[in-house]
Amino acid sequence: MSQKPVSRDENLRKSRLVFYENDVQRLNAEIDTFLELSKARCALLVDRDGHLVTRRGEPVRTSEETVSALIAGSFAATREMARLLGENEFAILFHQGTRDSIQLQLIGERTLLATLFDGRTNLGMVRFYAQETAGRINEVLEEIHSQNRSADLNADFGSRAEDALDKLF
Amino acid sequence: MVQINFAQKSVNLKIVYYGPGMSGKTTNLEIIHQRAPEGNRGDLTSISTDGDRTLFFDYMPLDLGTVAGMRTAFQLYTVPGQVYYNSTRKLVLQGVDGIIFVADSSASMVNQNLESLRNLEENLNEYGKSLSTLPHVIQLNKRDLPDAMTVEELSRLLNPHNAPIFEAVANTGQGVFPTLKALAASVLKNIMNEAGQKSGYSAPQAPAPAARQAAPPRPQAPGAPRAPAFAPPQAPLPMQAPQPNYSMGVPQAPAGGGFFPGAPQAPAHPVPMHAQQPPGGLQLARPSPQGHPPLALSQTRSQPRPALNVAAPRQMQAGQARPQPRPAPAPASHGQARRPAAKAPAPAEKPRKKLTPIFIVAGAGVGAVLAWVLTNVL
Repeated sequence: MSQKPVSRDENLRKSRLVFYENDVQRLNAEIDTFLELSKARCALLVDRDGHLVTRRGEPVRTSEETVSALIAGSFAATREMARLLGENEFAILFHQGTRDSIQLQLIGERTLLATLFDGRTNLGMVRFYAQETAGRINEVLEEIHSQNRSADLNADFGSRAEDALDKLF
Repeated sequence: MVQINFAQKSVNLKIVYYGPGMSGKTTNLEIIHQRAPEGNRGDLTSISTDGDRTLFFDYMPLDLGTVAGMRTAFQLYTVPGQVYYNSTRKLVLQGVDGIIFVADSSASMVNQNLESLRNLEENLNEYGKSLSTLPHVIQLNKRDLPDAMTVEELSRLLNPHNAPIFEAVANTGQGVFPTLKALAASVLKNIMNEAGQKSGYSAPQAPAPAARQAAPPRPQAPGAPRAPAFAPPQAPLPMQAPQPNYSMGVPQAPAGGGFFPGAPQAPAHPVPMHAQQPPGGLQLARPSPQGHPPLALSQTRSQPRPALNVAAPRQMQAGQARPQPRPAPAPASHGQARRPAAKAPAPAEKPRKKLTPIFIVAGAGVGAVLAWVLTNVL
């Protein structure tokens, strides 16, 4: 398959996702409001690659990284199923448990809002407010993705990472 | 796609083990899980079939620790190797930052190796990537097999981009960590190159063919046409991967708490699913100046938001309580959902209440006049 040549800036945008502190503060504020209104227990904003962007609400018992990876995997599998059925994608997924349930909502192109809730609220409340919040979060994310952002990592990040690798292995 | 999160002070990278079925991808991950320091490794999660074949992926986070103020973590994935799992294989490749291609050294597997490599390139192309630019290393696994092909032969067939090559016997752990270390260094170097910063850091170069051994030197038996890279293990083939104690599928939360530690017991969905729709009372009040409608509980939006401590480390975030204490559990009902809207009284109700006595007096007066006319005039 032939690839279209892309500029360095465009290539960087595609190959990395940079969140500044102010970005995450704005995302957190939206998610906090959503949690107050929906009475859900916890919300995770997960990149479709499986990386956790932010988590608000009550802490998750198990590893947040693992939950994020599985959320992304679950959504990816369902998207493939949708494609086979002639749909573009299923934008909302819902998994119901005996005590806790989880709703996944696609925001924009590449972010997922996972909401964990129990019997203190219900699916309708969560879905309604999640829909509202998704629009707001999408505006923030689009702004982030449209910018050409420098990583601003420490100049000695590479050398220190090498030392850390030597220690680890 | 590398994620650099300055709020959480973290750098996350995605590394995928790719290769034909049964080549030892999951075994690589199991060895890393067994031997990596406890503080650096996360749970190994496997979505596999009953026959222990990877169905979707294996996953394990590996924490490098705090590097120059950033918590650096590798998310390690494997893919299912079987040809018919290409859909799931492609999904796992999304956003990959580096690839370890695990090849089976057996001469009988040469076609499967080539097919898997071709499939990898195809799948990467669908994401706009290519092995020619993506950091990757090649691990020649199962070097202890009697019919193992030579490194030179395999290199010529499987390494068109001159990537670093490592020999391994994954089930004994030989070559597993050097492979991962080389790729990790290559991915980190790639980040720094993209950032355009001079770090003075150099990833390990691809070793020269004569020095490609990641493990003890190959014993040369005089007259032997092909000697294995490593002494054959004590256990006969087929190799049995050591069985670490890891969770299968989604980690099971202990009974009583669900996902959350110390969670109070809440009624499990007291409202039937068909009744759990947003009630009609949840109407948006007015459009906001930003162009999208505000949420129904407008007074909550107008309140000052609680101070957020997003700059704190993730451990601190995990311990943070919700900004406001959660009210006592109440059964979910439509009335609960309507509560926000009920707090905003309709503006037309007040004048209606004032007019009511006037209408009563006027009606009574009209009635009295009619009664007088009926009795006295008629």
